[in-house]
Amino acid sequence: MTELAATRASLQETMSFLGAIASGIEEAIGESANGISYLAGKRLGMKLSEKVEKTDDLLQALESVRRVLQENSCLWHFEPFQMHDRPEMIELTESGEEVNLVFRDCMIRQSLFRFGHQQKGSLCNMMFGFFAGALLNIMGRDSVLEIRHAGENACYKRLLIQKAGTKEVA
Amino acid sequence: MVEIQVHEDGCRGCRMCVDICPTTVFEYDEEKRICVVRHQEDCIACLSCAYLCPSGALAHANFHTVKNFYRDLAFCEKMERFL
Repeated sequence: MTELAATRASLQETMSFLGAIASGIEEAIGESANGISYLAGKRLGMKLSEKVEKTDDLLQALESVRRVLQENSCLWHFEPFQMHDRPEMIELTESGEEVNLVFRDCMIRQSLFRFGHQQKGSLCNMMFGFFAGALLNIMGRDSVLEIRHAGENACYKRLLIQKAGTKEVA
Repeated sequence: MVEIQVHEDGCRGCRMCVDICPTTVFEYDEEKRICVVRHQEDCIACLSCAYLCPSGALAHANFHTVKNFYRDLAFCEKMERFL
């Protein structure tokens, strides 16, 4: 095995281990696990996006988040998605701006599947935290990343960038 | 674009694919009593329908398969020698 392959294998073993720990924590402390992983993700998102240029444009902000993930070798590929009956990619609602995202390659999903742990748990919440942290830095606004569907090959999520002064709980 | 094929002879019309699909790709055809693809362009290739279908009547093509963990790939490479 080459050095790179060995490093990747080690990293992936660590992720599987993390998946097992997260699953165990959920059983031990219940829903509080979500809050802990959310905060961990948010801190990571804020730290990695510290030097990213600020913008009010949601699609541009998402592009920045994608770049941040790539630059930090994170296997979290996502793309905005527009259904056939939706007139615009970004929908303006009373709560703020909404966009649907499709997540394809996801190291969290792969970690969970390895030992059959459930999706939509605390590790998935870490992703929500990451987006919340990064988008708070880039757009200066709070956001909610809601999992609409956790699939075997892709996940479907709704991202809401909240208007200043409004608050929606995921 | 993702291509979805429903094997009409295999479909029992249980509607599980209609229920699970997050982007309402499928519709139940009352006349034929099977599920049909109505909005193929909305498919995100989560493959939940294919995993769930009790008859294995759904097939997808032209989609991105998620990258599997390296250890699995290495294991498969080794096993290929014996198969």
